[in-house]
Amino acid sequence: MAGILSYGAYVPPTRIGFATLAGRPAKPDVSGPERSVAWADEDSVTMGVAAAASCLRGFDRASVDALFFASTTHPFLEKQTAALVARALDLRRDVATADHAGSLRAGTTALRAAADAVAAGSARRVLVIASDCRLGAPGSTLEQGFGDGAAAFLLGDADEIASFEAWHAVSDEIVDVWRSQADPFVHSWEERFVVQEGFLPNLVEAVRGLLSKLEGGPAGPTRAALYAPDERSFASAARALRLAEGQLQDPLFGRLGNTGAAFAPMLLAAALEQARPGERLIVASYGDGAEALALRVSSQIEKLEPRRGVAWHLARRRPVQSHQHYLRARGLGEREYQPARDAGLSATIHFRDRDADLSFKGQRCRGCGAVQFPIQRVCETCFRKDDFELLRLSDRTGRVVTYTFDYFFPTPEPPTIVTITEVEGARIHLQLVNARPEQTRPGLPVELVFRRIHQVGGRPNYYWKATPLPEGDV
Amino acid sequence: MGEGLRDKVAIVGVGCCQFGENWDQSPSDMIVDAAYEAYADAGIDDPQRRIDAVFTGSLYSQKGPHECSDALKLWKPVTLVSNYCATGTDAFRCGVFSIAAGVYDTVLVVGYDKPKDRGVSGPTVMMNQVRDLPQTAAGWFALCAATYFEKYGAGREELARIAVKNHKNGTLAPKSFLKREITVEEALGARMISWPFGLYDCAAQTDGAAAVILTRADLAKSFRPDPVSVRGVTVFAGPNPQKDPGNDFLSWKPTVWAAQDAYRQAGISDPRRQIDVAQLHDCFTLTELLSYEDLGFCEKGSAKEHIASGTFALGGELPVNTDGGLKAFGHPTGATGVRMLYENVLQLRGQAGPRQVNGAAVALSHNIGGHPTACGIAILARD
Repeated sequence: MAGILSYGAYVPPTRIGFATLAGRPAKPDVSGPERSVAWADEDSVTMGVAAAASCLRGFDRASVDALFFASTTHPFLEKQTAALVARALDLRRDVATADHAGSLRAGTTALRAAADAVAAGSARRVLVIASDCRLGAPGSTLEQGFGDGAAAFLLGDADEIASFEAWHAVSDEIVDVWRSQADPFVHSWEERFVVQEGFLPNLVEAVRGLLSKLEGGPAGPTRAALYAPDERSFASAARALRLAEGQLQDPLFGRLGNTGAAFAPMLLAAALEQARPGERLIVASYGDGAEALALRVSSQIEKLEPRRGVAWHLARRRPVQSHQHYLRARGLGEREYQPARDAGLSATIHFRDRDADLSFKGQRCRGCGAVQFPIQRVCETCFRKDDFELLRLSDRTGRVVTYTFDYFFPTPEPPTIVTITEVEGARIHLQLVNARPEQTRPGLPVELVFRRIHQVGGRPNYYWKATPLPEGDV
Repeated sequence: MGEGLRDKVAIVGVGCCQFGENWDQSPSDMIVDAAYEAYADAGIDDPQRRIDAVFTGSLYSQKGPHECSDALKLWKPVTLVSNYCATGTDAFRCGVFSIAAGVYDTVLVVGYDKPKDRGVSGPTVMMNQVRDLPQTAAGWFALCAATYFEKYGAGREELARIAVKNHKNGTLAPKSFLKREITVEEALGARMISWPFGLYDCAAQTDGAAAVILTRADLAKSFRPDPVSVRGVTVFAGPNPQKDPGNDFLSWKPTVWAAQDAYRQAGISDPRRQIDVAQLHDCFTLTELLSYEDLGFCEKGSAKEHIASGTFALGGELPVNTDGGLKAFGHPTGATGVRMLYENVLQLRGQAGPRQVNGAAVALSHNIGGHPTACGIAILARD
């Protein structure tokens, strides 16, 4: 039976308090409601790669037959995100890739398409990533309500930790929440209309339809992970569905925020983090209709090594200092010059360097065994020519050799920490992120994260960075 | 290895334009200032007849070798050399070799650059790749700091003392850009550029041009009675220190290797005793500190004590950057190596005025540039 083999999630450690969004300075000792914020070098691609890296830990990446990437914030309107992510994750050349887009329920739609592919036998293992970072206009309710994050699931038909039991979807045409081309901000019609005519009736209908399909009629779920635009409509939905407090997966309002197409998938990941064998989970998402699915948790879940899930990430937070910092990080602040929409990086060089820059492959010399980066013709150590094997470095850990703090690189929070980092013996010039200057030292253990490096040419350009190996790592 | 230069080539003329923010001068204007001063210094009043070839160095040249030949109307064999901060020394090296090889009798070497036409005051953050970002020279040269400080106990204060020394020397050089003494406190309190480099740890990026005239040793005295002999010149490449697996970030290999080659050519075995005055590449204060050790002026790790005792100050055992260095004289990249030759020639002739090192007989100049990946060294001596 088709099911989930593994999961992972990502929440940016940067969180902005509602008070800070309203213009009050952050107070480190006061905790109030907050939301997650993708920082200046993060977007749906980088968050998705991080969630997927956690999901794939311990699984052979070459076993992935297909990758579906769901988001309402793909960096390109024309150019596939899944193909870029497949390269960053170093998936097989013959992986089938597809983007799901345009709807807040794109995440669950991608899950369903993946489950269908596995059930139909067209793919044995499918990686599904849902990731979103939507922009609400500065000062708007949406800006406060949104959050940024990603979830990833590996689907297959053997050793599932949870198996799909049933699906139900309804489609609806309603102009309630939308964003047109070239518009950076999400718009919403009147809130009461959105909830009363859009969200509530659709979600309730999808869940009721799902429950009626389950064996033995509407037997309640052990736990329900429900999308909702906000806390109040979440409570309305739970009431309408007669779900008790103990049956509801915590929707994390005031901690995570509404992560769009990734929201219901992230709540599913959070549910799996706590799930026990035999439990029934239902997941429901909303957007241009609604979609619900049911899963039965198997005993296999006890064998899965711990993942970096939603709870793991929520426990690691770095408050944003001011609304101004947030605006700069999201590219909304005033600037003397707009980034030039010139040709940008040479597409030819990008093409040639994909193995190094995106898949982060170094090479091991077959002569002396030295690992080096980037890919080059003559060995740095023994001078042997063209005798190397490629080696993926992105999933290795490393250590800082030396560093400086650069105050010139354009960033919302100077300085940029720049290091020489050693990974498997290869010396690599890398920025260090999510670190404070005072914790930077030679020998600091680090791991690697896929990030935006700059926006030359008016488009995101991606590369890898180092980040301190987190304490309490899983 | 060949037999070396063996005093085959002599410098008979030097010139240098005023370094600074030369808003009202084009590259051509500065090239003319430097070259005509060198002509006059060599007693050449008919350059069209006396100059056989031109070797020019510029990192930011907009017009290639033509920029120099058009400025001087010298329609001769012209070479443009580009090798980061070693550009000027490398152009000089090519000129020296052309004479040592017997191809030409007399050549002109010009180094110049015009960074102040760009509209930015600091370093350019290069954004043409995704790897190795951010790319600023300060960020590259700072990478030895954390490791060196940890191992040898030096710190920002030692760096500040180098800046203070070079600012002081700069006040004594008529053509230097900055003529203001600073204090250690000022240097330590300046805004950060790339840790540990504050503003005063960084060279002053300026416009400028400098020129030297080289000739066959046996012809030298027909130009002037006090020619300066070229004892050795080299430009060495080293691995990119950022990916070099053997790099300890305590020294820069190109300097160590170039010094070995230059000392072999010049017959130097005890640099601190045998060299009387040196112009070192202080693009950043730490670069000067590391160069003391990488050039063998003192033991690795001992720079701190020599900075404290004034070994490298004017009046010390081996004065370094007598004209203020890149820090105060200014750093037009392609000109810098040639400007150092200008200063060393003045020192060897006893024409350095209030900054004169008494009895200077052997002088060294040193550039290091790139990541750093290239080092140039020239050793001159009184004939």
